[in-house]
Amino acid sequence: MASKFGLAGGIPERRVRPIWDAIDSRQFKNALKLVSSLLGKYPNSPYIISLKALVLERMGKSDEALSVCLSAKEQLHSNDSALMDDLTLSTLQIVFQRLGHSDLATSCYEHAAAKFPNNLDLMMGLFNCYVRESSFVKQQQTAIKMYKIASEERFLLWAVCSIQLQVLFGNGGEKLLLLAEGLLKKHVATHGLHEPEALMVYISLLEQQDKFGHALEILSGNLGSLLMVEVDKLRIQGRLLARTGDYKAAADVYEKILESCPDDWECLQHYLDCLLEDDPTWGSEPIENRIDAIKCADCRLSPLTDEVFDSRITRASTFVHKLQENLGNDIVRCPYLANLEIERRKHLYGKGDEQKLMEDLIQYFFRFGHLACFTSDVEVFVQVLSSDKKVELFKKLMECSSTISQVPAKALGLSITIFKFQQFLGNMYGLTVGGLEDLAVKMVEMFCMNLPLSKDLDPQESMHGEELLTMACNVLIQLFWRTQYFGFILDAIMVLEFGLTIRRHVWQYKILLMHLYSHLGAISLAYDWYKSLEVKNILLETVSHNILPQMLGSPLWMDLNTLLRDYLKFMDDHFKESADLTFLAYRHRNYSKAIEFVQFKERLQNSNQYLLARIESAILQLKQNAGNVDEVECILENLKYGMHFVELSNEIGSKSLTFNEDLESRPWWTPTPEENYLLGPVGEISHFPKDNLMKKREANTRTLIEKKALLPRMISLSIQSASVSFKDGVEVNGSVSNPNVSSEMKLLLEHYAKILGYHLSDALGVLGEVCRGLISTEVFGVDMIDWVNLAVFSSAWKLNSHEFDLQEREARKFGSWHDVDTLLKRCILERLKFLSNPISLHSTDFQTLVRLITEPLSWRVLLIQCYVRTSVPSGKKKKKSASADPSVLTLSSVVHDSIRSLCGTFEEAMRWLRNQNRKLEYEEENLEGTFLSMRSEVQKGRPGRVFQILETLCSSGSKELGDRISGALESWDPDNLVRKIVSGQRAVFSETLSICESKCRTLNALKQKISQI
Amino acid sequence: MTTIRRFCCDDLLRFASVNLDHLTETFNMSFYMTYLARWPDYFHVAEGPGKRIMGYIMGKVEGQGESWHGHVTAVTVAPEYRRQQVAKKLMNLLEENSDKIDKAYFVDLFVRASNTPAIKMYEKLGYVIYRRVLRYYSGEEDALDMRKALSRDVEKKSVIPLKRPITPEELEYD
Repeated sequence: MASKFGLAGGIPERRVRPIWDAIDSRQFKNALKLVSSLLGKYPNSPYIISLKALVLERMGKSDEALSVCLSAKEQLHSNDSALMDDLTLSTLQIVFQRLGHSDLATSCYEHAAAKFPNNLDLMMGLFNCYVRESSFVKQQQTAIKMYKIASEERFLLWAVCSIQLQVLFGNGGEKLLLLAEGLLKKHVATHGLHEPEALMVYISLLEQQDKFGHALEILSGNLGSLLMVEVDKLRIQGRLLARTGDYKAAADVYEKILESCPDDWECLQHYLDCLLEDDPTWGSEPIENRIDAIKCADCRLSPLTDEVFDSRITRASTFVHKLQENLGNDIVRCPYLANLEIERRKHLYGKGDEQKLMEDLIQYFFRFGHLACFTSDVEVFVQVLSSDKKVELFKKLMECSSTISQVPAKALGLSITIFKFQQFLGNMYGLTVGGLEDLAVKMVEMFCMNLPLSKDLDPQESMHGEELLTMACNVLIQLFWRTQYFGFILDAIMVLEFGLTIRRHVWQYKILLMHLYSHLGAISLAYDWYKSLEVKNILLETVSHNILPQMLGSPLWMDLNTLLRDYLKFMDDHFKESADLTFLAYRHRNYSKAIEFVQFKERLQNSNQYLLARIESAILQLKQNAGNVDEVECILENLKYGMHFVELSNEIGSKSLTFNEDLESRPWWTPTPEENYLLGPVGEISHFPKDNLMKKREANTRTLIEKKALLPRMISLSIQSASVSFKDGVEVNGSVSNPNVSSEMKLLLEHYAKILGYHLSDALGVLGEVCRGLISTEVFGVDMIDWVNLAVFSSAWKLNSHEFDLQEREARKFGSWHDVDTLLKRCILERLKFLSNPISLHSTDFQTLVRLITEPLSWRVLLIQCYVRTSVPSGKKKKKSASADPSVLTLSSVVHDSIRSLCGTFEEAMRWLRNQNRKLEYEEENLEGTFLSMRSEVQKGRPGRVFQILETLCSSGSKELGDRISGALESWDPDNLVRKIVSGQRAVFSETLSICESKCRTLNALKQKISQI
Repeated sequence: MTTIRRFCCDDLLRFASVNLDHLTETFNMSFYMTYLARWPDYFHVAEGPGKRIMGYIMGKVEGQGESWHGHVTAVTVAPEYRRQQVAKKLMNLLEENSDKIDKAYFVDLFVRASNTPAIKMYEKLGYVIYRRVLRYYSGEEDALDMRKALSRDVEKKSVIPLKRPITPEELEYD
């Protein structure tokens, strides 16, 4: 930190050091004392003033810190003799940034850089400011200035990267790239290049302009020697040659790479691409994607004639054969998998030979069938086979598996592969219930039988055969889906919990359990397993989809709050620090990383999950505080009254959204957070549904964000409506004029209705019909909450609008006080009727009830609080005048009725919830009952057989298992587990009940207040 | 079937199946990105067919004089791809970069003293236990500092084991 001559920011370092030390050791009070006393000596030193601001900010005194910062800024601008060094400015910058005023720091640097135009430290600081602002043009200009001052390669490269960023983000075209190229060319001519990264940027710049030949020249010239790893250079060369269309030379290069890296699968594919000249947009997309797109149809990708194609294939086969011969060990898979790839390419060309492909697959199985990755290795090749051949292949693999290995671990590996392969082929769907059951039994038996193999393993290490239990769970859930015997879910849970009792670190089991417990409505258990995964940092973005959607519909607000808070904090922290890390990459001359970091930040900023979590977090705060209008108003103020969210809703249609969730880990029955096959009838599910599912997901998510983002603003406007309607006097038709609120609210309601697929007036018509019992609430479908929200907010709008009455007539009348309450009651009653049996109760159905209670019903109670607050003033005098107004009296009686109706609705829900909890107390009506029957008698085709295997193992007390596993088995307690599930279910009911009770208390208090009028 | 290439930010979004393993730490973003920004040639990922992440290694090069060395900060392999020498390939690459490009004297790494399987693996790869660092992990568990000499350390001085254990405060580098 210290600069020359022991001075820091112009102050002797020995005087400043104690302050730094105090800050580093977080003794801020002491630091403030020290800095204040030093200020006495140097009252005009911008550095000391900045230090004071820094200390104040760390103490949480933001306002004071800002004002001190501004005075330091003022000193810098007004005092010509003030020292403007990077230390002072960077200290100021830190504080300004933490206070959310980075722009002020930029202006300080701009001022300083203008004053000392040859000071590189200041210019670099300024460049960093522009990196923070993502001002690529200004970055470029500043870097060029630095380059002019110092002629250093790195500054030129900073400018070039800034240009590339402008182009990547759509603000500049060919001319800019040409400019960058010109600058680099000139520099190379006079100074050469000295960093491999600089060369990489040069080449990427040429590639961006399709100047592949030119890039090749550069690479093979003197500059090429900058790349010290020969293979790296060859990879670039191969790519460039292919892009120039010189496939022959490119193939030669790839052969060279494969000779030194025979296991490089990507390289092998590029090699075949080049030999077969099969892709004009070479290198931009992996071949898997392209082939997936055409679904392995009999089409020719290659433009070659038959003879040339055959000769190229022969060359590839010979080369691959040579690679195989040269291999010294049997771990390298690529040259063997290459046989399959060659066959697949032939198939794509229309010259496929299924028999040969089958033989190659079997050979590969002989060699690598015991590996856990066998099935994923061969997936894409098996897809080429016809259905009959797939069945034939499976039979052959079964036959082979018994002959291959006698080594127990290897034999186990082969058996697992067979099971996995069967699941991959989708054979499960063709099996009878009995067949499925036998399969699950076999898997679990095999797991138990092979436990002794793992007895000496470290408890941290994966055990042999862990996958068997995952697969058994999948089969058991399939059985549940087919038979609707709830016990199969319990069997699946037992299998997984049993596995975790033996080794508690298997994350695959935990994820499955999270989904199963969520499905049963025992969300707190699901959340416990989630916590045990210790998901943090970037995994919050990729893994939390396994729990977040379920939590959003649950009444476990504290846990949900933690989940959302941790996730948003991680994302926001990254957005704050990302620019500094980008600058670090610039400083360390890793230019390509600087560009990558900017793109990555953009990707996270556009994360659908992030955008949704921001809205959900706001809605959660509102829900949690809906019992207190003042609190809600405070929250809304912090949310800028929901204005930002409305902007988000308006722009979401054109915004690019990213989906960063890692969906691979999800169970088969819920491939995305929005899909749950268990809720629907048994039917054909596509084995590779990814593309369609993703498109559907994207469309759904856009709609969801568009819709939900309107809520905070609608709540805010409704509160305003409800608050002015009494305060400012009621007009003849019962509404007051606040044209701004009214017209904005109308727009939002129209927008909201449009998202539901209706014009507002038609939507109100539908609501009216449901309200009068002409049609059922089923008409709302999955959007029930949104419909009821629309009803509640429309009613609030009515208070503030003349227009409503006109629409009301057209729309067959909906929106009176009474209507909304009737609708709310009807929705709750119909929902309660629907949810009858807690055992088979799907959590999603119950979630709708929770959301009805915690969203539209709560908003309604919140708005009534507003009416009462404004109609029952606190002062005695006001009270008198208010009660003198007859229209207020009329309204207060309406509100009174409304409160009574809402109380009744909540009481219905509470009665049902209490009843459910009571049912859970009786064994015969809960899981424990099901469990007892599973234990007592096991029939074929009924749940329990798998569970019995676990019981048998535990009671056998086998000595072969070693102390650790035996000890774990002794601690296995399925009865306790069942009790835990039941209490998990009860927890959700109890929590919902307590929310209802709190709403009733609020309503009763309002009733009291209103009776004062 | 290992395509080894530089690790990039997008890989952070694809490595869940590797990092959910309880022995693999998921660091904060600035940790990963500092490594990427400063030592991109020491941060590699191994990919299998279908671009599946098999494992990755992150490391750095640091030190002065004869202590100039490569350091393995983390190396991990997904369960599906274990027992296929993926870690060995990743380690070899880091060693080669330390040796050939940065001309380091040795490569070192820290491992939990209780992590016997990992220690055995590193020994197989030519690493020796250079010293024990007392209570290195959260003030509780000891670490073993393991080293492998590179070609520049002709006399293999860097790997002569220390006679006494040291405390974390005595470490030259974090």
